[in-house]
Amino acid sequence: MTIIAVSGGKGGTGKTTIAVNISLILSRVRGHKTLLVDLDVDNPCTYTLLGVSLREVVHVKSFKPEIDELKCTLCGECTRYCPTHALVLIADKLLFLSSLCEGCAACLYVCPTSAIKEGRKVIGWIKEAGKGVLDVIVGEAKPGERKTDDVMEETLKYALKKLQPYDYVIIDTPPGTSRGIYEALKASDIIVLVTEPTRLGLADLKRLYSLTRGIGRPIIVTVNKYGLKGGSYRELEDFLSREDLPSVFIPYDNSLLRSYIRGECVIEQQPQAPSAQSLLQLTDKINEIEIKIKKKGLL
Amino acid sequence: MSICEIVVASGKGGTGKTFIASNLAYFLAKSNHNVIAIDADVEAPDLLLALGGAKGILWKNEYYGAEVPIIDYKRCMKCWKCIEACRFEALRKGERGPIVDYNSCEGLGVCGLVCPVDAISFKPRRTGLLYAAYSSLDILVITGELDLGGKNSGRLVYELKRKAYDLGKKLDVEYLIVDAAPGIGCPVISSLVGASLLIIVVEPTPQSIKGAQRLLTLAKLLDIRSVLVLNKYDLNPGYLGKAASLLGVPVLGKIRYDEMVVSAYTSMTPILMLAPGSAVSRELKTTFERLMGLLT
Ligand code: SF4
Ligand code: SF4
Repeated sequence: MTIIAVSGGKGGTGKTTIAVNISLILSRVRGHKTLLVDLDVDNPCTYTLLGVSLREVVHVKSFKPEIDELKCTLCGECTRYCPTHALVLIADKLLFLSSLCEGCAACLYVCPTSAIKEGRKVIGWIKEAGKGVLDVIVGEAKPGERKTDDVMEETLKYALKKLQPYDYVIIDTPPGTSRGIYEALKASDIIVLVTEPTRLGLADLKRLYSLTRGIGRPIIVTVNKYGLKGGSYRELEDFLSREDLPSVFIPYDNSLLRSYIRGECVIEQQPQAPSAQSLLQLTDKINEIEIKIKKKGLL
Repeated sequence: MSICEIVVASGKGGTGKTFIASNLAYFLAKSNHNVIAIDADVEAPDLLLALGGAKGILWKNEYYGAEVPIIDYKRCMKCWKCIEACRFEALRKGERGPIVDYNSCEGLGVCGLVCPVDAISFKPRRTGLLYAAYSSLDILVITGELDLGGKNSGRLVYELKRKAYDLGKKLDVEYLIVDAAPGIGCPVISSLVGASLLIIVVEPTPQSIKGAQRLLTLAKLLDIRSVLVLNKYDLNPGYLGKAASLLGVPVLGKIRYDEMVVSAYTSMTPILMLAPGSAVSRELKTTFERLMGLLT
């Protein structure tokens, strides 16, 4: 079983498009049992692209203070200790702002009159769908709750417990470099870094590469939207050759663009398109690296 | 005069936040307004680049956005109260006292609070960088960078905004333009708290509309006035009306897709400056003029 994380710091470079298409190639085209894990908890889109409906399997919860107004003397002790100012005293009322609360429970311990009780709040959900050879696990954060990294980590943990039947696990991460993403990268065998041939894409790739190198996993750079006019091609190619990074280029053809706009997958709609072909190449590249890892393991 | 804070966000990445934010900052600066641009996408900062790159750095600081507990094993009497109290399972029993798992620790200090013998003290931990710079277009940009695996990017964003307000008051700034992180998570919440107006940038795809709906849920919770900018609308013109009616928020403007936007990044110049006469620039100007009308 091989775990592949698809990541990139900048938003909108095509991480989800790539994760979904390679999942489809591995499962439906090549017949491997595949699990796609969607950690983009802020706006998970893999399942809509695949056209599957999800069932809720876990409510991800966190601590929240339950305030007993009868016992509360409005002393304000909790508001002083709350590290995120989620508790505020206004006139003769103690207000709780759930969006700010990190669930640390400090308020519970400092309240001198035990007016704060143990409560739970839902911060997100873990959902699942099975679609023959391709299964999906999706994490989704509840809008307005700030603990999205926790939802990511819980989803990852949940998925890591279910690896057994699969040949491949593809993890689609949200844009960024936060803790939840870091955990996902550490859990994987191969990292696919997705970028686009723009100046901003390149700046982001360099930053992310210098950050992820330390994790010590083989990296494949995937340059999406290749051919976009006005792109920073020379700088990008210089960087890739200087760092000796394996790379795959996905051309920005009409088939890919059309699928993207309609919320479909190019590998299913237009398997002959150049973009679909290069996604097949990316999958081959992943297999090559897999073989290398295995050989090293044997030596 | 109080500072007007405009946040540019989108539930999904890559819809053109930085494009709108950089051009808006440039537009305001060109119309003789005093502006600070804030890059709150601390996990992939690029606003400074889009505004011409750094000309001169005003200041640069490491940011210590978390605290980590240090256990004094001589004092510890192994009552394990701290382990019970920690909600993040970051402490476990060891030979001489609790052992801290720094990866799980959120640094919120509850263990120190409950320890009866003061055996726990705290040390600040670096989570990123923040700095202020004048871009080569003479626009003041405050930006930050979260370390990999860094926590509390929301706190880093608060800090960026606090610094911007401090500096803004000193410099008589009228507008803060915040380029938010993609999504609806912790850093976005921090970006939105206290904002005067939210500009949601959407592109005509189902994924983007879905993200925008989630962002709107958040904006409504925080009670922030929101408007829409429909970016790249001509890629799927049929979707325009649908997007607007799905979201039920006033449309501030629509901007067509132009490959020149990419070249503008390559030359690190806002398109309003690079090609002021182009159709995209005209649409941007109309949008921003309408924005000014809304605000006054
Ligand atoms: S749990 Fe922590 S963050 Fe939430 S209200 Fe209580 S003290 Fe504040
Ligand atoms: S609460 Fe204090 S004394 Fe008790 S185990 Fe923790 S560090 Fe030791």
